[in-house]
Amino acid sequence: MLVLPMALIALYSVTEPGNTIISFSFTLDHYVKFFTDPDFLIILWRSILIAVKTTVICLILGYPVAYYIARCKEKVQNILVLCITIPMWINMLVRTYAWIGLLSEGGLIWQIFHFFGWNGSELLYTEGSVLLGMVYNFLPFMILQINTALCKMDHSLLEASADLGAAPAQTFLRVTLPLSLPGVINGITLVFLPAVSSFFIPKLLGGGQYFLIGNLIENQFITVGEWNFGSAISMIMAVIMMLLMMAVRRIELRNQGGKGE
Amino acid sequence: MKKGNRPFGKILMILMIVFFYLPIVYMIIFSFNEGKSLTSFTGFSLRWYQHMLESNDMMESLYTTFSVAIIATLISTVVGTIAAIGLSKSKKIIRDIMEQVDNLPLMNPEIVTAIGFMLLFITFKVEKGYVTMLLAHIAFCIPYVILSVMPKIRSLDPNLADAAMDLGATPSQALVKVIVPQITPGIISGSLIAFTMSVDDFIISYFVTGGGVKNLSIMVYTMSKRVNPSINAISTLVVVIITVVLVLINVAPAFLAKRAKKDEIKGRRMMVPAVAAICVVLAIVGVRGLNNKASSRPYEGQTLYVYNWGEYTGENILRDFEEETGAKVVMENFDSNEQMYIKVANGEAYDILVPSDYMIQRLIQEGYLQKLDHSKLDCMDKLTDDVKNLPYDPGNEYSVPYFWGTVGIVYDKNKVDIRDLEREGYNIFLDEKYRGDIYLYDSERDAFMMALKALGYSMNTENSQELQEAFDWLVQCVQTMEPEIVMDEIIDNMAQGRKALGLIYSGDATYVMDENEDMGYYLPETGTNLWSDAMVIPKNAKNPELAHAFINYASDYAGAYDNSSYVGYTSANQEVMEDLSGEGGDFEGINAYIPRSDNEMDEVFVYNEATKKEISNLWSKVKIAASNAD
Repeated sequence: MLVLPMALIALYSVTEPGNTIISFSFTLDHYVKFFTDPDFLIILWRSILIAVKTTVICLILGYPVAYYIARCKEKVQNILVLCITIPMWINMLVRTYAWIGLLSEGGLIWQIFHFFGWNGSELLYTEGSVLLGMVYNFLPFMILQINTALCKMDHSLLEASADLGAAPAQTFLRVTLPLSLPGVINGITLVFLPAVSSFFIPKLLGGGQYFLIGNLIENQFITVGEWNFGSAISMIMAVIMMLLMMAVRRIELRNQGGKGE
Repeated sequence: MKKGNRPFGKILMILMIVFFYLPIVYMIIFSFNEGKSLTSFTGFSLRWYQHMLESNDMMESLYTTFSVAIIATLISTVVGTIAAIGLSKSKKIIRDIMEQVDNLPLMNPEIVTAIGFMLLFITFKVEKGYVTMLLAHIAFCIPYVILSVMPKIRSLDPNLADAAMDLGATPSQALVKVIVPQITPGIISGSLIAFTMSVDDFIISYFVTGGGVKNLSIMVYTMSKRVNPSINAISTLVVVIITVVLVLINVAPAFLAKRAKKDEIKGRRMMVPAVAAICVVLAIVGVRGLNNKASSRPYEGQTLYVYNWGEYTGENILRDFEEETGAKVVMENFDSNEQMYIKVANGEAYDILVPSDYMIQRLIQEGYLQKLDHSKLDCMDKLTDDVKNLPYDPGNEYSVPYFWGTVGIVYDKNKVDIRDLEREGYNIFLDEKYRGDIYLYDSERDAFMMALKALGYSMNTENSQELQEAFDWLVQCVQTMEPEIVMDEIIDNMAQGRKALGLIYSGDATYVMDENEDMGYYLPETGTNLWSDAMVIPKNAKNPELAHAFINYASDYAGAYDNSSYVGYTSANQEVMEDLSGEGGDFEGINAYIPRSDNEMDEVFVYNEATKKEISNLWSKVKIAASNAD
């Protein structure tokens, strides 16, 4: 049930349209088509770029928040974690949809921007709004992952470090940060993966002219009907993601190894 | 350092909470808005709640969301836990391989998993619907359960089970009485994650569903094309449900703990969420039950599957039809003919489709439609002659017209000089005076119609040279004019006067002009597309009898009036059209409502497979060029 779907995508991606289960003819045309067309490559590049931006912003915003929560009293901690979890229980699309009203011309955020002397006309349907939507949707994953890692940390380590004469900044850099790294890596995975493949956030907040790789795949399956080409794009994306994730894991492993010595 | 004041952290935390809750609060506030706007609050009203409760579709989606989530959570928790226990006992190689496989859905972009499931169901000819959605949800929830149960099992003392059995427990007793209680926290957190994932899921559900089964996400996605505050109402309801469940989970254990001292009952913790969830489902089922009154009507208990454009039916017609016939109508929406075609070509069964002219021609050619039984139809005489007997279906053997109209330019009379429009026609879309102030409609057919007509060609040209010129025209437009390429969002945006002009369907223009009197509708002299959408019955329809009844109902005065006055598209029913555009009618004085019939350059779209494919590819390229322009 888990492997079969992937195998089918792989099969579709190397065959020609109009196959049945019994007869099919192989081709690599779909891959050639993707890699020889600069337009597709630009889209792929932009999807990865926006996912990287999202991840970096989530990390910059998420780490201090997670750190702050981890340093609160346990009761407060539970409440704060709950506060961050609740929005995740409310449908992602619904929350994204609410942003349309906030950002569109005459909406609350738009008015606030104008009040402070901003004169542009568009907040919605820009790269900024897509980025905002992604950060909004995926930031909780980052916070929760880092927070879990920070909470697991042994607090006596911090005291030991302070006793041995480390300045607070040193303690943070030499002890806290390395120990929270697994959480950071998990957070990056959980933000980066959905950000690359998301198609409804760009569609709702980016308008029809904002195309990411996810939209390209959806388009192939839902409106164009070229499933084989769509499968090929999916395979390409899946492979790139796996490679990236393996690279990230490797960094994590090396880090752990280094610490052991 | 430990207890110091951390004003920076505190401020950040507060900002974060504001950031997370602002949209939710905003949505709750606007669910009580009297007007339709999402940006200005005009007064308190409960009309969107009423609208939501009356809409079977919405209540059904709520039911689907929660019932799928609960069943999927239960099954995946049991299967996942057993799998995790089994894995911990198996050999290391098997365990490693299985863990990699288990990671697959977690490491894979969701859309890839979704497509995998879709291809799986289609390859094995499983009819898409509730069951497929449930299966997919169970499948993608299991890894999360395994992932959170596994660490607990690992930290378990392997001798525990042996000890239990030494003391005389059977293996199953050892499992239930010793192992399971030890790993309960892992099971609970696993099932909570599974539940959250299932409730929140959109992408996978979107690709594996069928037969009109929608969960909340799909509902929002199909409805969000046009502003509909009922979405806010139903979202608020979900917020309330979730809050109640959360409060129950957090308060009830404390309450139970007090009682537990008396009754010595343990393990209730897990019961609470389950009980709360079941209550929710019962409540929803109850609400649904109220709507189903039983009596003897001609089609009692039967179901009609309609596949129609989004926002293309009146407020009351479906409910009225259900009340009169006793049948249940399940409506699924598409936003392009092509999307509809793919589903139909993949064998999904509907009783009624409402495609456009050229698509009907294609469906007839490829043998997907059945001939209508005209002895069962009493509506043909009521329809206007302009839409009958058209080349795509001579003699209306297969189709009965629903709406018809033109494609033209909607413009803001205060921003656009009418002389520019008269002088330039469609070329106004290349006039730099209006740069950054225009909308293009995201449809290959209409975009190319515009470009070809601007260049003075026929919109049905098969000449590659002309198509290439049209393509260059469009690329020039997207590269120099900064247009926004939209679909139905254009309706609300133009009604709010956000941009100067845009390409639009006449029916949408009618709606826009009805909402905002500064708006005008202009048809360039170089011609336009005269289109019509009609009801057809596919060959694989399960209930053609009922489908005929529906065609009659939708074409009759009451049904047609409801459709046309609510949606704004021109009715095929002669009398309705006259009443709505005549004195005192809803659309009096709105030129977009009555399609023009006196321009020789106007054409009806003809289907041609090769050209269609060419245009389709070229339009993708235009959009990519637009996307890469900034």
